[in-house]
Amino acid sequence: MAHLNDGTLRRMLDDPDAITAPDREHFSTCAECKARQEALGADARAAAALLAVPAAGFDAGAAYKHITAAPARPRFGFRLPLLKRSAQPVVAGLALAVIVAVVATASVNVIPIFAPKTVTPVPVTQAELETLPDLSAYGDITWTQQPTPQIGLSKADAEKVAGFPAPHVGSLPAGISSTVTYAAMAQSTGIFKFSAAKAEAAAAAKGKTIPKMPAGMDGSTLTLTMGPALLVVYGDLPKSENSQSGQLSLPQLIVAESSAPSVSSTGVTVKQLEDYLLAQPGLSPQLAADIRAIGDPTTTLPIPVPVQFATSSKVKVHGVQGVALGDNTGVGAAVIWIKGGHVFFVGGSLKQSDALTVANGLI
Amino acid sequence: MGVDIEGARPIARVKSEQDSFEALFKAEYARVAGIANRVLADAQEAEDVAQEVFIDFHRLHSASSPYAAPWLYRAAAHTALNRVRGRRRRERRELAQSVDEGSRALDPQRIAERNEDRRRVRQALARMPAKPASVLVLRSSGLSYSEIAESLGVRTGQIGTLLRRAEAALRKEVNRGTP
Repeated sequence: MAHLNDGTLRRMLDDPDAITAPDREHFSTCAECKARQEALGADARAAAALLAVPAAGFDAGAAYKHITAAPARPRFGFRLPLLKRSAQPVVAGLALAVIVAVVATASVNVIPIFAPKTVTPVPVTQAELETLPDLSAYGDITWTQQPTPQIGLSKADAEKVAGFPAPHVGSLPAGISSTVTYAAMAQSTGIFKFSAAKAEAAAAAKGKTIPKMPAGMDGSTLTLTMGPALLVVYGDLPKSENSQSGQLSLPQLIVAESSAPSVSSTGVTVKQLEDYLLAQPGLSPQLAADIRAIGDPTTTLPIPVPVQFATSSKVKVHGVQGVALGDNTGVGAAVIWIKGGHVFFVGGSLKQSDALTVANGLI
Repeated sequence: MGVDIEGARPIARVKSEQDSFEALFKAEYARVAGIANRVLADAQEAEDVAQEVFIDFHRLHSASSPYAAPWLYRAAAHTALNRVRGRRRRERRELAQSVDEGSRALDPQRIAERNEDRRRVRQALARMPAKPASVLVLRSSGLSYSEIAESLGVRTGQIGTLLRRAEAALRKEVNRGTP
């Protein structure tokens, strides 16, 4: 009889009854199998010792009260849902709006005159997101053209709305569905007007005081332009919300292209806005340092990377610097880059290596 | 009729969802936090991870899903591993913490060595691919072979082999990280 394999020998250490009678009989008389088990048993004991941690008691009742009393949600709500295997249909459907709005919203915190030419990752934790000032507490935004994504268009209609041809994937990775859905969004413009009174009142309501707005900021405006954008989704889009569990799969692959978001200012300078943001109470020193380290904020699009959900790295895509998120487990990965005034996004429930291949093969 | 729009759910169903989530939370919280603690060796941060994982699950899935527990276990392992991978700044905090602990402890050198050992093991885990690292974490957290298999989406018969390889890989990684 052949010797037992390592898996069987290892399992015998945890569960001696989980093997067949012939295997047990072989093992009882086989010196070689016993020697191999002794060796792998040493590794098993060493691993158990290395991974030992002090006993900790976890109070589920107290923890439940904590999360229901103050649900921890990032203020800007960007959780990279594209990195999840599944998400609510609204997330899938509005993925494009999320991609564009998220980065533009994040950017507007530091950049009054903004025309990004490159991207850079900014690692953030949930706790740090909580420390970011809430933009809506510093003024009011009015949309002259609301962001209105249109989903389920034909390719021709999507290209008509966006005003540029749909990005074409050179070759799809194995296992990715060739079912394609198009979505598009026309250009949208919003005007944010700073209000010192509103900012001070919002801070006072929380029992905090904030630094005075710099001269000229109160009443001045930032004009934010997003899109047009076009989204190509590979895989089945959820058709309705009537499933029993409410769980629907995210598409396997999303390819998006958008004009880079831009921000113009009527009075505030980049320096003033950055200084004002970084002087807000409660902002994490690490996040402040990360924001300062962005480099030229007028031309760099920061990609917030929640460290608990994703890792990030800088990559070369089409000859320019891009940001890769996720890993090679296949749970989720994405690549984002800017070229020719357009932001590109390739992501979904695929390996990072596949996302990079698709990104570099994009035509 | 028949279309279940999120904002128009009947109150009874919403209540039932909340009840299901509470029951799931209370049944699995200690185990999920234990898995995160196995990676992080930091009970407080493990609780942060566990709560994040539950909130994330609640946002995306129904609490009565049959895959709820395996999903939570895997997510706890992955999230905790990602925290170790993504946290350069954590090192600085730990350094300050170990100095603080050392000032109060009877044997500061022992405390420092223990912290260093834990740091080295966590870094070794973080360098490993997600699947073997998760197998190790889940098994050492007390999950059965079938629970690990369900969490990772593999056959139970593969767990012995995966575990064996993961334990050998951990030994090599720890040795590699030892000066």
